[in-house]
Amino acid sequence: MRHDFLDHHSRLDSPVHRLSAEAKLFAALALILATVLTPFVAPLFFATLAVFLIAVALASRIPPGFLIKRLLLLEPLVLGMALLAWLQPNGGLVFARIIVKSTLCLFTMILLSNTTPFSELLGALRRIRFPALMITTLALMYRYLSVLVDETERMQRARASRTFTGRRSHVWRSLGTVIGQLFIRSTERAERIYAAMCARGWK
Amino acid sequence: MTAAIEVRDLRFRYHDGVEALRGLNFSITDGECAALIGPNGAGKSTLLLHLNGILPERFDNAASVFVLGQPVTDANLEAVRRNVGMLFQDPDDQLFCPTVFEDVAFGPQQFGLNESDIGVRVRAALSQVGLAGFEKRSPHHLSRGEKRRVCLAGVLACEPRILVLDEPTSDLDPRGRRELKAVLRRIPATKLIASHDLELVVELCPRAILLDEGAIVADGPTTHLLNDEALMLAHGLDRPHILQHRHPH
Repeated sequence: MRHDFLDHHSRLDSPVHRLSAEAKLFAALALILATVLTPFVAPLFFATLAVFLIAVALASRIPPGFLIKRLLLLEPLVLGMALLAWLQPNGGLVFARIIVKSTLCLFTMILLSNTTPFSELLGALRRIRFPALMITTLALMYRYLSVLVDETERMQRARASRTFTGRRSHVWRSLGTVIGQLFIRSTERAERIYAAMCARGWK
Repeated sequence: MTAAIEVRDLRFRYHDGVEALRGLNFSITDGECAALIGPNGAGKSTLLLHLNGILPERFDNAASVFVLGQPVTDANLEAVRRNVGMLFQDPDDQLFCPTVFEDVAFGPQQFGLNESDIGVRVRAALSQVGLAGFEKRSPHHLSRGEKRRVCLAGVLACEPRILVLDEPTSDLDPRGRRELKAVLRRIPATKLIASHDLELVVELCPRAILLDEGAIVADGPTTHLLNDEALMLAHGLDRPHILQHRHPH
């Protein structure tokens, strides 16, 4: 059972990891803003950003394979949007723009989350007076993501132990059931968590 | 003397029409440690949720639960929740913060204590449950028993006068159970423990209340109740082994 897929490598030791959470948060934000706001006419600018990010990645001692895999995992979402954009007039350029900009932003976020433990990131957000309700929501998400993954794994295992045919259609259908179950279980758990929060004075 | 908990004709029906509690009456005196026993679905958890004002969702009629003489109503919910600490069945529901420290600090923070007081309370609560030094750990890396004790620390940090525990030893290994029992024994608060762990009940609680189908079937000295094999079997329980080698006098 892996429990820290969100900030898997955040507890390594490297010059990047040792920077303060605030510094990394602001740097990431600045990079993303610059990426989004710069018009897509200066390829040199984006190439420089990419080189900078790769340098940070190397300095962070995170296995490059991990970063590439993580990026590829998120890329289909970007690709979906970019493909839709391709259909419009002059679509090729828009397609390239979305791909390049999104990939740079994603890479920045992956680096940030893997060089800073999530609880430290939340601490930094709290210190810069980010809205408390948002921080609570993020903290709850981080805490229960692992519980949810465990629950899914348990359900999948239980299903596998009683699956005798290897038919694809069967697997897909039961996957639907698992997702439905997961949804119901999460809502019920959310109610119990809320009760537990109220019991300790949450208003 | 006012009772720590007083319940008068408590009734509750869930949205789906299931009548979970059918007119309960009992009171628990200050400092008492009582057990709530009964089969699954008897209404134990539902009852416990009422003691903290989590159920009913709306207080429409006159209060039927009194905590330290105060009726449990919307108006004094905060005072009630300060006085009654509640340990839930699933520790994952109760440990909702990223680190142990933040979780134990959650209650005191809600009560508006300042940073240094909160730190003092958290350290005291953690050492009370034998987990000093666990502040920076994250809940999902703890064992089941440790999670349970962190939950308890989170409750103790609120310094409640009454502790309400829902199945505190369920799915703990013998060591986890032993450690939790030792911790519970040291806590001076009034305690109401709902449990199927009848050995725990015998060891910790001089008094037991037997609940079945939303009504109180029996209420009296634990050894007396649990030695009545016919009564125990009729309500989905057992006469615990620990009593079979011991004779009531």
